[in-house]
Amino acid sequence: MKMKILWMYHDIMDLYGDRGNIQVLKKRCLDRDIEVSIDTCGIGEQKNLNDYHLIFIGGGADREQHLLYQDLVNRKQDILDAIKAHTFVLLICGGYQFFGKYYIDSNGNRIEGLGLFEYYTESNSDVGRCIGNIEIEADLDGEKVSIVGFENHGGQTKNIKTPLGKVIKGHGNVYRGEFEGFYNGQVLGTYMHGPLLPKNPEMADFIIKKALHKDYEEVMLKPLDDTLELEAKETMRKRMQQEKG
Amino acid sequence: MRARITILIVKFIRAGLRLFGRGGSLPGQIALKLDANILKKIKYPSKIILVTGTNGKTTTNNMVYALMRKKYENAICNVRGDNLMAGITTLILNHTSFGLKVQSDCIVIEVDELNVPHVLKNVPVSTILINNFFRDQLDRAGEMENVVGKVGNALATYQGQLVLNGDDPNVVRLADVAPQAEVFYFGVAKNKLSKQVSDEASEGKFCFRCNAVLEYDYYQYSHIGRFHCPNCDFGHHSFYLEATDVDIDKQSFTVDGVVFHTPQDALYAIYNCVGVISIAKLYDISFLVAKEVLEGFELKDGRMEHFDIGRDCLLNLVKNPTGANEVMKYIMRDQEAKDIVIVLNDNVQDGTDISWIWDAHFDLLVDSQTKVIICSGLRAYDMALRLKYENFTGEIIVLPKVEDAIMKLKSLHDHAYVLATYTALQPMRTALRRNQK
Ligand SMILES: [Zn+2]
Repeated sequence: MKMKILWMYHDIMDLYGDRGNIQVLKKRCLDRDIEVSIDTCGIGEQKNLNDYHLIFIGGGADREQHLLYQDLVNRKQDILDAIKAHTFVLLICGGYQFFGKYYIDSNGNRIEGLGLFEYYTESNSDVGRCIGNIEIEADLDGEKVSIVGFENHGGQTKNIKTPLGKVIKGHGNVYRGEFEGFYNGQVLGTYMHGPLLPKNPEMADFIIKKALHKDYEEVMLKPLDDTLELEAKETMRKRMQQEKG
Repeated sequence: MRARITILIVKFIRAGLRLFGRGGSLPGQIALKLDANILKKIKYPSKIILVTGTNGKTTTNNMVYALMRKKYENAICNVRGDNLMAGITTLILNHTSFGLKVQSDCIVIEVDELNVPHVLKNVPVSTILINNFFRDQLDRAGEMENVVGKVGNALATYQGQLVLNGDDPNVVRLADVAPQAEVFYFGVAKNKLSKQVSDEASEGKFCFRCNAVLEYDYYQYSHIGRFHCPNCDFGHHSFYLEATDVDIDKQSFTVDGVVFHTPQDALYAIYNCVGVISIAKLYDISFLVAKEVLEGFELKDGRMEHFDIGRDCLLNLVKNPTGANEVMKYIMRDQEAKDIVIVLNDNVQDGTDISWIWDAHFDLLVDSQTKVIICSGLRAYDMALRLKYENFTGEIIVLPKVEDAIMKLKSLHDHAYVLATYTALQPMRTALRRNQK
């Protein structure tokens, strides 16, 4: 088996340690003797998106996100084709916002999104940034899993019909919101940094399975020793439960 | 009258705090509550040097202070790094007479980046020295872009001297937004440690003026290096002072024909020193005096502190990727077997977001001579995962309590190193002292 990952805008969208997600996916495949290739794709680079099992985009700073906007728009059809062919898409923060209808940044500049989905994002300086540790109960194709991370976003993402999960502690898509992220079976968008995957091995394996499913009917993942990972998650969950509010 | 009463109160509180062995920023905090404009009401000396930037500002600030004291014996400075408005207010008011005059001929102040606008609004600064801008505590300060933007806005009407690291594009761009300032660039010439490519966490890859991708003749560390824009004039400045003939093993470099020695053997330390030497030149202090100051300078506060726990143990502060990378490079120059304690906390002063550890090159520690890494602190498990996913081949031990981590370290036999984030530093120091031989 071989997992082919495309890391888009690796040089721009790389805030808050999002690169760690790639490291986790890679090691968890290699530890199971699944081969991994990781390609990067910068602005203007020719890549056939449909060749990959997984496309990953992280978060970036406002100024830098503006720079890649046009490039992403040029690839809209390629992205649609890849999704249609069952490429799995993992989007963190800025990447997540880009796939919606539009994004209004903290300076009031409006950027049109790819418009693949009906959600949109507006910065609202009245409520302030959503910052801090977060726990959600994610619904991964029917399986309820506790996921922990760190969120840090000014944008408020609204009009989501299929969220990734319910907020247990923290904000989520909007300030003091009820739900976090977006997931439709093929595209998973979330505000959770930390990075997301090291402390959430169930989520990492879920993504690996979903992605490989594009080329492999039956994907069985050998269990790994996740003692450290689960201790890390449990430590954070306990701490959040003890914190007030 | 109100100002005088405020000063009286500040001195009174400060004297009281001293009695209990405490210093800090409480008096200034109260003064600002009593009179928010207090700093605008006093008479200042003509020489006020402000030091800011992300990494190394406490060290640089204290070196500038040591230097200025050679010329102005009564110079004052926030040597302990109280770099927010309240700490700076405490310092200034405590040296202000009831005639509302600062009783010193020179003030040297370290200022937190986000506090630069407040300080410039209140204090007639004559010289600003800026070292570098890196990602640091993103959750507190917002994106680095935001930090540079805020410092830049504060410079719009600034009329003094601006001493800038000419090898950091994020610092150089400030000259564009400070039209009335007199700008001086310092830099470090290509040397044995310079590289053609950089794979370290990078900021500002794009030209500030035209958004083209910047080109580098060489990198020193992170995004610091000799850059220019291929498309416009950005980065084509000339240097006021430049360190040449850098010999990192001898910890020496040359500026204008004078050979200097640095207290630390790393490139970032040489940048700090050249910044200080630029101040010497601007304030007409001889290079021989500057040389003496730099060579006699003693590093404190989590920068290479030695402890004896039956064997030598070196303690270093880490707080962001670039700083951590430099410390790790230093440790790995030791080719003997070693054990390392890493204490990762996520209190407010550390930055509550610890994701920066994934931007730092912990792969530097992955080596057959790194035998044991003990992860400690509030986020000990996160640190352990960081190493696991870097395929660290030695033993990873998680001991969240600092005391336990040091007991374990003491029981091992290899060269001993400790890395600690800001709020872990003092507990770590206490634990190390308790375990001294
Ligand atoms: Zn340019």
